Amino acid sequence: MDSQKQTWIISLGDTSGLDVKIVGGKAASLTKMIAIGIRVPPGFCLTVSAYRQFLATSNLSDVIQMELGKKSLSKMRWEEIWDAALRIRSAFLRAPVPLELVKAIDEALIHLNSQHPLAVRSSGLGEDSINRSFAGLHESIINVQGKKSVLRAIQTVWASLWSDAALLYRRELSLDPLQSGMAIVVQEMVPVQNSGVAFSRDPRNQSLDREIVEAVPGPCSNLVDGLLDPDRWILKHSSGEVIEWHAGERNTTQVNMPLLNEHDLRLLHAKLGQVEELFGWPPDIEWAEQGGELSILQARSITSGLPDPHADERRWYLTLRPKFAQLRQLAKKVSERLIPKLERLGKQLAGEDIESQDDRRLADCINTRLATLKYWREVYKKEFIPLAHGVRFLGAYYNDRLQPADPYEFLFILAGVDFLATHRNVALQKLAQQVQHNCSLRKKLTESVITCHAISMTSWNNFKIEIASIQGGSEFLADFEQFLVTFMDIAYNGERLAGQPSSLLYLICQLATRPNTEPATRKKNGKAKAQMLEQRLIKAAGKQREQEAKEVIAIGRLSWRLRDDDNILLGRIESQYLRALLLGAERLRAAGRLTGKPPVEKSAALIAQTLRDSTLDPVHLDEHNPEPIQGHSNTLDKPRQLIGQPASPGLAEGPARVVNGVKDFLNFQRGEILVCESIQPTMTQLVPLASAIVERRGGMLIHGAIIARELGIPCVNGISNATSVICDGDYLTVDGHLGIVTFGFPDFELEDHVFSANMVK
Amino acid sequence: MTEEPALGVDFESEDFFSREHEESLPLRIRRLVNSQPFAVLCTHGNQHPYGSVVAFSMTEDLAVAVFATPVTTRKFQLLSQSDRVALLIDNRCQHLDDMMHVEAVTATGKAIRVEEGKDHEYWMRLLTTRHEYLSGFVQSPTVALFCIEIARYFHVVRFQEVRQWTPKNKPG
Repeated sequence: MDSQKQTWIISLGDTSGLDVKIVGGKAASLTKMIAIGIRVPPGFCLTVSAYRQFLATSNLSDVIQMELGKKSLSKMRWEEIWDAALRIRSAFLRAPVPLELVKAIDEALIHLNSQHPLAVRSSGLGEDSINRSFAGLHESIINVQGKKSVLRAIQTVWASLWSDAALLYRRELSLDPLQSGMAIVVQEMVPVQNSGVAFSRDPRNQSLDREIVEAVPGPCSNLVDGLLDPDRWILKHSSGEVIEWHAGERNTTQVNMPLLNEHDLRLLHAKLGQVEELFGWPPDIEWAEQGGELSILQARSITSGLPDPHADERRWYLTLRPKFAQLRQLAKKVSERLIPKLERLGKQLAGEDIESQDDRRLADCINTRLATLKYWREVYKKEFIPLAHGVRFLGAYYNDRLQPADPYEFLFILAGVDFLATHRNVALQKLAQQVQHNCSLRKKLTESVITCHAISMTSWNNFKIEIASIQGGSEFLADFEQFLVTFMDIAYNGERLAGQPSSLLYLICQLATRPNTEPATRKKNGKAKAQMLEQRLIKAAGKQREQEAKEVIAIGRLSWRLRDDDNILLGRIESQYLRALLLGAERLRAAGRLTGKPPVEKSAALIAQTLRDSTLDPVHLDEHNPEPIQGHSNTLDKPRQLIGQPASPGLAEGPARVVNGVKDFLNFQRGEILVCESIQPTMTQLVPLASAIVERRGGMLIHGAIIARELGIPCVNGISNATSVICDGDYLTVDGHLGIVTFGFPDFELEDHVFSANMVK
Repeated sequence: MTEEPALGVDFESEDFFSREHEESLPLRIRRLVNSQPFAVLCTHGNQHPYGSVVAFSMTEDLAVAVFATPVTTRKFQLLSQSDRVALLIDNRCQHLDDMMHVEAVTATGKAIRVEEGKDHEYWMRLLTTRHEYLSGFVQSPTVALFCIEIARYFHVVRFQEVRQWTPKNKPG
């Protein structure tokens, strides 16, 4: 047993810790540096064997295989990968660490200074090799104190071998549930005055004779996590001579004083040279300084050879995982500045009288509105999507502290969050109730929407006169038009919903066939449970972290709400841009200068140009042919069961209705199964009619899953071929508990047919 | 004395011929059953046969097998029509190039749905001890748990050598 323990724990600096296959890249590098006298904070390495022992005594390999085997990882979207990683992480945290291993870790901890907090860092196989660096893919936990916390941190770092980020780079990391492994470095966090990073070459151009040094006051996490702006020096690599110095922006009195003096910089330059000579490659190091003593926290190869961040979407995804402090800043910026600005802008655009503008001004308006839309789409990508991580942060925070059996228990905390879409759906229900309680109105509306499927805006005025003549009709119309202005000035799949009142009337008629069945008690119970779980989390966080836990919950709720609302607000900007574009197209058409199909975003510039210049030739817009959606007509090869993610529990059956655009809203019948690419906040008004949802896009936190759980209807998502193999009218059974969609009934008609045919022969 | 593996835990793979002359038939059956986590469940209904792969577990006396299935499946529908089933357990995947080494048992019996209650927990545990990854699956309200009371085992080796064995605690 002793020899086994030896292979589980190796002290940093022990020569047996040089084998990368046993201790991982980080620990091996640290040991090499210790061997030549470089100062490294004391610590030990928990070897790959320890990880494998943990896996061997648990069912975690099965969990990993179940999570990653259901669907090809290349077909998973970010959200699905995050979900899989969350479930794996949850299983890692709940699995007991073998007692012998716990004992070995406890014994190793005795040799470290108990006064110092610890850093628990990943030391993955090939993580920081010369050709590649995966910094940030795996977890590092700092300021860990106490045996229990160390153990928890170790489990968390092990789990990060299967983090969402690591899964994205699975091929490069050779992730295989049965073959892969991870070592861990547990190190003392020595008191630090200043710390930072240093590169022995300029990472942007390694051929230059340059070194880069960055420094912040306090621990290096202040720099790595982007919490403080560092002081930055550019040195000559050949001589160590300082070429440039940029002061970091800090709110201290010493704002203009450099953090490092000449002596410190000389020391760092010497260390970089020493490390480069040792490893044979230009290093990127993390360092810490206290009382003139310099320690190296880690060293790895400079990774300028990484793919262009714009060329590799995975790099962009990694930016969607901000740390808490960054989230806090982002939440403030988005909720206090960006969302109110976007809301104001939507109202302002809606209030502009573009109808009375001359053609030239309307052309300008189209261009400006398109530019505005594009600008906000960028803001959406850069600011709103990262803020959505607030919910995921809450999830990880909750699971780390409470280890619930259900890794999505944290979602109950979000019950009762006030979405714009909820307000819209409540208002819609009220309209449906008006229709439900007014027989003549119901009859008239039903007749109209059935006989005249799409009421054009020109016939809309005549239709209004007819409705107004019915008792209660004027009140309904007033409410309906107010509803259009307040809630439906949004776009869905490039179409303005406000311009399609018939689709909304049809929906209201459908809703009016049955009262709103959502029981008030469920909402009340949801809120009570949210409060109970919130208290449980705050208690588990402990007195010292009570404020932090409250803030995490608040940011989780905010990001939950804004993630829905931002889509609607952005949909309003798109709707207002479409309003201008459609108006321009209408004028050109009336003047005989435009023929063909309605304009799309690609033709906006052409429409604007033609409006502005009356001498230009008439424009003909060809049909933009979207890729035809292939139904599954081949009866010889017909799916029987599709497997996806169980996103909302329940069991329902009914005919399928594939929704690809606004025109499909008009065909949707109550009780049908809504099959689509993904439910967007701009179309959630359709969901109360559906008996179940099947989505191509997967994830537990996407809109379809959220609304399905809120309404208590089953949802299976992440079926990558859902919209291509399911056809309108296919009879489906949706099992939201298991994530299974079954076609038809388990009959033997085919066999009966075949055998009876043979009998005849 | 042969060491018995803990119930439902080991998926061991042993060479059959080396033990052929040492072990009793029940021990051979147990060895085979313990080495295979999956079986082919044979069902029928309204004159139609059907076969499906299931993850299973056995009681220590080999008298009862347990498995689970979603209620939306064809096999569930057939089980509702007829409780008479067979379970085929074999090691052919380990001997793709040597038919003579293939060993198989066909267990015939009666499938009974385990309703929610005290016994449900026991049977569920028996299944999930061996197949821990099914813990979430078996707890789904859309999954039914079935026990097969085994009447008889047909044990086949060397292509055609067949013997039969009846578990001691044979029901009825």
